[in-house]
Amino acid sequence: MKYVSRIGIMLFAVAVAATGIIAGCANAPLRTEASTSGIRAAEEAGAAKVPSASLQLQLAKEELESAKSLAAKGEKVQADSMLRRAEADAELAVTLSHEDAEKSEAMAAVERARQLRKDNQ
Amino acid sequence: MKTLQYFTLVALAASFAGCATVAPTELVNARSAYQLASDGPAQQLEPAELHKAHEALILAENSFRKEPDSYRTKDLAYVAQRKSEQAGALGSIAAAKASKDGANADFQTKQSEIVEQGKKNLSDSEKRTTDAQAENARQAALKSAKDKADADSQMQQAAIAQGKMDLNAAEKRTAETQAELDKQAALKLAKEKADADSQLQQAEIAQGKKDLNDAEKRTADALADLASLASLKEEERGLVLTLSGSVLFRSAEATLLPQAQVKLDQVAKALLAIRARNLIIEGHTDSQGTEAYNQSLSQRRSDAVRDYLVQGGYPADHIQSRGKGEVSPIAKNTSTEGRANNRRVEIVIEREAQLSKK
Repeated sequence: MKYVSRIGIMLFAVAVAATGIIAGCANAPLRTEASTSGIRAAEEAGAAKVPSASLQLQLAKEELESAKSLAAKGEKVQADSMLRRAEADAELAVTLSHEDAEKSEAMAAVERARQLRKDNQ
Repeated sequence: MKTLQYFTLVALAASFAGCATVAPTELVNARSAYQLASDGPAQQLEPAELHKAHEALILAENSFRKEPDSYRTKDLAYVAQRKSEQAGALGSIAAAKASKDGANADFQTKQSEIVEQGKKNLSDSEKRTTDAQAENARQAALKSAKDKADADSQMQQAAIAQGKMDLNAAEKRTAETQAELDKQAALKLAKEKADADSQLQQAEIAQGKKDLNDAEKRTADALADLASLASLKEEERGLVLTLSGSVLFRSAEATLLPQAQVKLDQVAKALLAIRARNLIIEGHTDSQGTEAYNQSLSQRRSDAVRDYLVQGGYPADHIQSRGKGEVSPIAKNTSTEGRANNRRVEIVIEREAQLSKK
């Protein structure tokens, strides 16, 4: 009897916890920190001045707003999925900004080395 | 390797899904983006990021198999595409970095080479500068040596010129000395010659005196002889030796008598002792006969005496003969004695003064 009651208590506790978690998730606020910080990082990286990065930044912003809109409508899961898009675009915007700068620096370095060799032939 | 796995995964998904299900655009784009990233530098340079993209694509593919047309599948495919693009971008960044690092290294290497070359050039330049300075110093030393040699040469030239001047002066002094010696020698020689001449002159004078004395003696002896032979008178025109006509010639003839020749030989001997005096043979007659006859007779008689004396050795050019005729009597022609005295031959011995005048 004790054994049965112990199992029953445990099942109850698990059921309560699962209910609590499900209920908590359903009511938890939209976690936009990653998207927001990604967008800010892209802006600081100068994505607005790089054409390819600028597009990704713009998409990230629109996707963040879309996620917020979905969350506001109660479409929490779909809003989270949209946030993944925003995060991916923001990260890509940062990377593309760096890529542009790196390519410019690399080209400048190659040109400098080529010019140096040319000037000292 | 991952590409192979991916294609295996895609093939399996397609076999499960069959031909009824069409992949959403996002998934197609994700597959393409991953394929592009796998072919790029991310494969080698950013394998971790490419792996993340691969994981994201697998999630999208799994979702596609369960919910082919759900927003979740599309969102996962979208994220997988972005992850693939990011992996590709990171690969490009790594490649650009590698290129930049290589270029920088190349630049550094070249710059180092340039610096080394510059150092070498600087060293060479410094060496050349040092060499040039050494050359300049050598040239300066050579110039200095040349200048010194020139100065020495000039000094030597001056010394040579001075030496020549000294030599010339010495030669001049030597010449002067020699001239003086020659002069002294000449003077000595002249003195000796003068002494010799003087001695000779003295000797000559002595000889002359002796000769004079001898001549005077001979003259005196001759005059004495002449005085003993005939009448000898001292007149203005000289010594006059008067020979009687009767002793020398027959009357009215001009041929010498034998005794006249003896007398004339004696006279000639005495005259030869005092020769070098001019003689004038004058013939005189008395007044008997014509004057012209007497003149001719006196001339012939004086000629006869002159010729005889010349034959006796008296120089012909020192004897003149003159016919005086009857114009110079020494006695009266009125008496016989007087006419006898007038018939005469006078031998005029001119004085030495008169001789020298002629």
